[in-house]
Amino acid sequence: MQYVGSAFRRTGTLIAAILITVTALNGQRPASATYDSERQIRLEGSITRIDWVNPRAFVFIDVRDASGTVVNWAIDIGNPIELERRQWKRSSARIGDVVVVQATPARGPARQALARSVTLKASRKPVFTPPVARAATARRAPTPRWPDGQVRLGPLPGQKGYWGPASAKALVESSAASVRMNDDGLLADLSDADRVAPFQPWSKAVYLHRQRTLLKDDPIARCMPPGGPRQFMSLNGFQLVEQRELGRILVLLGGGNRNWRVIYTDGRPQGQAAEVVLTFYGTSVGRWEKDTLVVDSIGYNERFWFSNGGLPHTEALHLTERFSRPDYDTLKYEVTVDDPRTYTRPWKGGWDVQWVPGEEIEEYFCEENAEATFVR
Amino acid sequence: MRSAAHLLIVALVVFSARAPLAQEGHPLTGTWSGDWGVGAAKRTHITMVMTWDGTSISGTINPGPDAIAIPAIALDVTTWTIRFEADAKDGRIAVEGRIDDIASTHRTIAGTWRQGPAKGDFKLTRD
Repeated sequence: MQYVGSAFRRTGTLIAAILITVTALNGQRPASATYDSERQIRLEGSITRIDWVNPRAFVFIDVRDASGTVVNWAIDIGNPIELERRQWKRSSARIGDVVVVQATPARGPARQALARSVTLKASRKPVFTPPVARAATARRAPTPRWPDGQVRLGPLPGQKGYWGPASAKALVESSAASVRMNDDGLLADLSDADRVAPFQPWSKAVYLHRQRTLLKDDPIARCMPPGGPRQFMSLNGFQLVEQRELGRILVLLGGGNRNWRVIYTDGRPQGQAAEVVLTFYGTSVGRWEKDTLVVDSIGYNERFWFSNGGLPHTEALHLTERFSRPDYDTLKYEVTVDDPRTYTRPWKGGWDVQWVPGEEIEEYFCEENAEATFVR
Repeated sequence: MRSAAHLLIVALVVFSARAPLAQEGHPLTGTWSGDWGVGAAKRTHITMVMTWDGTSISGTINPGPDAIAIPAIALDVTTWTIRFEADAKDGRIAVEGRIDDIASTHRTIAGTWRQGPAKGDFKLTRD
């Protein structure tokens, strides 16, 4: 067995970026903070342990380095639910199997890496191949409606499905659609920060600090709920369950800790921000404007980042979200951010969310596992 | 009763062992506590509350009957330094400090604290 730590600084970047696309929100810590996408390594060794746990499954292998010393590496193979969807099981490989791993190493000295491929050496068969992002569906079925003509936000009776991948990586002001960033929301060029949002000086400084520190302090890494627009950009998806007889819509989230949020549609007035208990999901009231659900939310605490990339906010945050469904498979999401303590003016952004037909929302829980053991 | 106390102690130890929380919201908003003094021997406790209203930062030293109002606090976000002045019974207060560990909920501010003729140092930690 040997350890070849070659660095393909440029050629590996694109592959790593694709890989990070499918892993960014499955893990606890943003992939950019954990793994160094500028480097690629090849490892070869025997499997010593398989941790098949949420949110990240790990294969541990003994690798002999150039000096002959055997060191144990933790190989991050992705979310086990996604792996099982692609027919991989814990038993797909066994303790003692010799594997060849192409991977993105962790930052710093930790012996941890994010797998790009894992191959059984003897048979050259791939195993635990990381999941790939779902391709956009080609069909364009008509918008489903209730008998009274109102747009449905869930599946038709007898069908199932949920809202899955978002078309955007992070919330950006709609007038700056071409800001380059990775899938964690890390800007390719920090000088683009002014195009992301109309920051006040302090919030721009905080945003840049979060960017420069590779989002390592992201509250989602500590299993904090993804409040605000971020709840609609999780790979784990969400469901909008309309309880019309109760005058409310439940947002059931696949990410975070499978949290839920209530949007009241019973005509109640919005509360006053100073009087409501501040929470991760705020207090939301919604109303239909023709085919668009308009949701007004206040009462947010400051303990979360409301988008990938680390956008700051204060308790003054006021969101107006607009949901429309132009066809069966597309949810258009637009949000107006109004936080005069953080931004110089209200601004808006949004994205499309893709319907995942025929499947239930994923069983996902954010909890500590091997990752926390290896990278701090 | 004793077992309950033990449970409380264990809970406090476990809670305090958790990873520090990250900074959220405006970096100065909140309650800060610490002390100031000339040298290590004589320190004076300080509780300070700072508020950001979207256009300016203001604060209060030792909220309560002897509160001292701070009408304006200047924050330089390029260096994370703050500066403010306030009127106390025993003289004018003039403070300059720097925020450390900006990413932490329990970040600190340390620097120089002048009060009347005295010049000392201070350190505040966000609660």
